[in-house]
Amino acid sequence: MVCAVKNMREPTFLILTALADGPRHGYGIVREVRTLSEGRVSLLTGTLYTALDRLTAEGLIEPDREEEVDGRTRRYYRITTEGLAALTAQTARLRQLAAAAEARLRTVRPRTV
Amino acid sequence: MGRPSGERVTVDRLARRYGRLLLVYPRTYRRFRGDELLGALLDAAPPGRTRPTVRETADLVRHGLRARLGRPASRTVVAWALLASVIGGLFTAALATRVAWQTAEPLPRTAEAREMLAQILPGQEFTGIEDAPALFVFYGQPLSWGAVHNLLFWDGGEYAQAGIGGVVDGTLAYPPQQTIELVQRNLRADGWTVHPTTTNDMYGCVGPPCDPTTIPKSTTIVAGRGDTTFTMQVNPAYPGNSAFISAGFRRATPSAVYPYGIGGGLLGGAAVFLLFGWASRRTERRRLAGAGLKLLLGVTLFLWWVPTVASVQWMARHHRAEPHPSWHPMWEWLGQPTFSLPFLVGCGSALLGLAIAAVPGGDREPGSAAADRPTPV
Repeated sequence: MVCAVKNMREPTFLILTALADGPRHGYGIVREVRTLSEGRVSLLTGTLYTALDRLTAEGLIEPDREEEVDGRTRRYYRITTEGLAALTAQTARLRQLAAAAEARLRTVRPRTV
Repeated sequence: MGRPSGERVTVDRLARRYGRLLLVYPRTYRRFRGDELLGALLDAAPPGRTRPTVRETADLVRHGLRARLGRPASRTVVAWALLASVIGGLFTAALATRVAWQTAEPLPRTAEAREMLAQILPGQEFTGIEDAPALFVFYGQPLSWGAVHNLLFWDGGEYAQAGIGGVVDGTLAYPPQQTIELVQRNLRADGWTVHPTTTNDMYGCVGPPCDPTTIPKSTTIVAGRGDTTFTMQVNPAYPGNSAFISAGFRRATPSAVYPYGIGGGLLGGAAVFLLFGWASRRTERRRLAGAGLKLLLGVTLFLWWVPTVASVQWMARHHRAEPHPSWHPMWEWLGQPTFSLPFLVGCGSALLGLAIAAVPGGDREPGSAAADRPTPV
């Protein structure tokens, strides 16, 4: 778990964030990740499913339910307790890094202006 | 609610194309996730799209191949698969080039070789010219089952391309330097491409004191014409040794070797990748079999890669040191058959690993909970 948090990359962080408020299906995750990243991260389907397989294997997410909409199979995924813990830890880490960077920038700005 | 028929045709066409792309994924994966993956792809496609984009295609191929390796949480399985595929591809490429060498013209016969030597160095009598028994020989004879023991136990380096040629021992028709110049002139006049000569000391320094400039030097002339290469070594006389010339012809690498090598390498690499993925998926849920497979994979890769890396370095140095109108055969670059024993033991280890993977017990049961949740390595 520590390893997964330590090496969490941005797409993984965004997928877990997308699932934090409830289960979503594959395309729902893609849309939510795009929204969360303000259009910067656009996951392709192959990439998404490799990430979902890995996160499932690591126990950070798990299948929730299946439904069929307009003849298309949709499987929903939900974040696990371990996944929430990993996301919380990564969020704290990013917050600490952002706070440290902002503090540095505050000391630099007066000189650069 | 149904879709308008035009839109349905477009979607069906796109679905068929996505379906074909999904064949890159392993069958078991498609069985459990294919519909879901296809649904997500169609959901993500903008209206009116009839074929996958290049970016989507590359993404599906890349991740489909990754899915073939199983073990979704593993961070090293891709590297191991690449190591196995590359070395497997190299060995199958070498095997294919050996087959392609069979397209080479037979070597000149004794009479023809004698005549060619007479044109290159007129007035010089060569002895010991004999028909080559095969294109490649082991201790001067065609490779046979009786030679396998010697071949395996470190004499494999004696398996080499045959040549036809002769020697002059003692009486030279011309002084050594004049011989060299005459041969180079005649070769060029007959349309041969003559490479720069190389010289080597006839013996090492015996000293001190030692003056390297006093050591007699042998000179090697190398030339190529069409599908034939020519090599002549001229040794001057020095106290206790008479002058000596050896000269011979070999076949240059046939042009068929290159397409055979590339095709064989690609096919072999792909086959090894698929076998690796199959064995990896079959054992990902079986702790003991998985551990055994990893051990055997390590043994195989060690026995295949170490001699290969060492041989490539040695051959690269050798090729830089002297001109080669025709490169050494590919298998020699891979250390074969000099290191045929480690290679065969590696093959045995790989086959044992595949046998372990083939033992029933690795397949996911359709509809089982385990099928939905891959386990980490």
